[in-house]
Amino acid sequence: MSDKKAKYQEVAYYPGCALEGGGHAYNRSTKALGKKLGLKLKEVDNWNCCGAMEVKNIDPKLQTYLSSRVMSIAANKMGMDTVMAPCNGCYHNLKKAEYDLANDPKSVDVVDKISKKAGHDTYQAGQVETIHALDWIKEAIGEDGLKERVRNSLKDVKIANYYGCMYTRPRHIFPEKDQGPGSESTSKPHFMDDLLEAAGAQNVDFPLKTACCGGAHTLSDSDTSTRLVANILQAAEAAGAEVIATECPTCHSGLEMHQIRAAEKLGLQSNVKIIYFTQLLGLALGMKPKAVGLHENISDSFAYVKEKGLA
Amino acid sequence: MPIHEKSLIRPENLHVQENKEVDGVDVSGHWSTFIETRVVKDYNEDLQAEIEALPGGDYIHRCWQCGSCTNACTVHALNPDFNPRYWIYLIRMGMESELLRDKDIIWQCVSCNKCTYACPRDVVPEAVMKATAHWLELKGHTPKSHSTIFDEVFSEQVIETGKIEDGRVVRRFFKRTGQKFPPSWMITMVKNLFSNLPVGMLTRMGLANFIKPRTSGWSNARDAIREYVAEQETHHRQALGLDDLVKAAQKEL
Repeated sequence: MSDKKAKYQEVAYYPGCALEGGGHAYNRSTKALGKKLGLKLKEVDNWNCCGAMEVKNIDPKLQTYLSSRVMSIAANKMGMDTVMAPCNGCYHNLKKAEYDLANDPKSVDVVDKISKKAGHDTYQAGQVETIHALDWIKEAIGEDGLKERVRNSLKDVKIANYYGCMYTRPRHIFPEKDQGPGSESTSKPHFMDDLLEAAGAQNVDFPLKTACCGGAHTLSDSDTSTRLVANILQAAEAAGAEVIATECPTCHSGLEMHQIRAAEKLGLQSNVKIIYFTQLLGLALGMKPKAVGLHENISDSFAYVKEKGLA
Repeated sequence: MPIHEKSLIRPENLHVQENKEVDGVDVSGHWSTFIETRVVKDYNEDLQAEIEALPGGDYIHRCWQCGSCTNACTVHALNPDFNPRYWIYLIRMGMESELLRDKDIIWQCVSCNKCTYACPRDVVPEAVMKATAHWLELKGHTPKSHSTIFDEVFSEQVIETGKIEDGRVVRRFFKRTGQKFPPSWMITMVKNLFSNLPVGMLTRMGLANFIKPRTSGWSNARDAIREYVAEQETHHRQALGLDDLVKAAQKEL
């Protein structure tokens, strides 16, 4: 068993606010998938919001503090060495806090000052490793492990894998990426492609894997977001995809919401289904649609899943 | 991909003559374009220092104008007037009046970080866009954008309780921006959602309106954060000379 494989069998789980709200389907399916695969998730005690996309616009160091508190609890209170965050925003922010605390003395000062006043240990860079749900499944189970466990192959499912912005950009906060074979690529990410392919899916050649869905302005500049999402939906359909697989609650709800809005405002109808990769993997492992929270998606894919023999 | 670059030449100062003949030679059209000269006199020599003092503006001095940011920009592809390279140039030159010509679109940056990814000098153009948008608002050149209002509503709730609940943020945002709630597409969205949702989930969502999700024992962190934010605000007011601006305005009145 490789080091990472052993390490990721039990990780601290940081769901974040989105997974308790609009992205609950992702929360449900991630937990269910972990259980099915025999991986242990220990939810971070009394966690707080990482600051999402918004707090950094008020003050980036404040966001660094918010993210550092989560890592501090995982390391100092729970004694964990790995935090798994399925949400791209949380994952990005924890990674960014890690980078800033290792490289920017001013951020360290601010975080230390607030942490002391708040009454918890200051997080020290390097105490925990933050990973995404994709890293978690990829390392702890791997493609071979998935292939052994597949009950309902996703064989006729044509998928466009959509990773969004926060999973790969900016490059410098992800030192483990772009490290050659076996590592994730920041320009052409492939972990989700690999996992879904192992579950039998046909991945289409999708050029907009890391395009922006306009998630930051989904309500404050909805027309821009709608145009960006319409691009993604149309490109996916043009590439022959029936499903867009997502790994971020903001991208996911952005795509769902602006799919409706694009039809209403721009007259652009699209039939592509929007499903979390954890839901697709869960279905492939033989779980029921409701067990992976398919009913909590806005984009209704029950009929599609049934047609493909996955329900 | 070449960028159709924006320059300091204003479109209204470009003169192209449709039909022009000089000494029997036809000089009609684009190649005989005449540019009306103008003199720029009103520099704000502190512009770069002011933006640098705001969160995100820290590394603007590193820029060497390669244009990678604009080339990579998501919003530039939708609107060619959205041009981070040009704005960074204006800020570093102190050309405030030119910058103000684009004041209504600078806030539209979607934070996709493609510019930050492409930048060879680690300027973090994404953060510079945010700092510039805040500078415009703090100086009173533009009212608070919807984006800023959303950031504020969101951050207030995080600072208050340690966590957010989507529904409350959205409702507060619509209220504070004076928009009709809910918009029609949101009704369609909620209808789609409710067609499949079980009762338990609906109850849980409804309860979130009354029982705010919160991090327990958050009050110390909240106080420490508020103290820090207040310190920073004072610092920004000083850096931008806002108190002097207010005094000067009061004198005039």
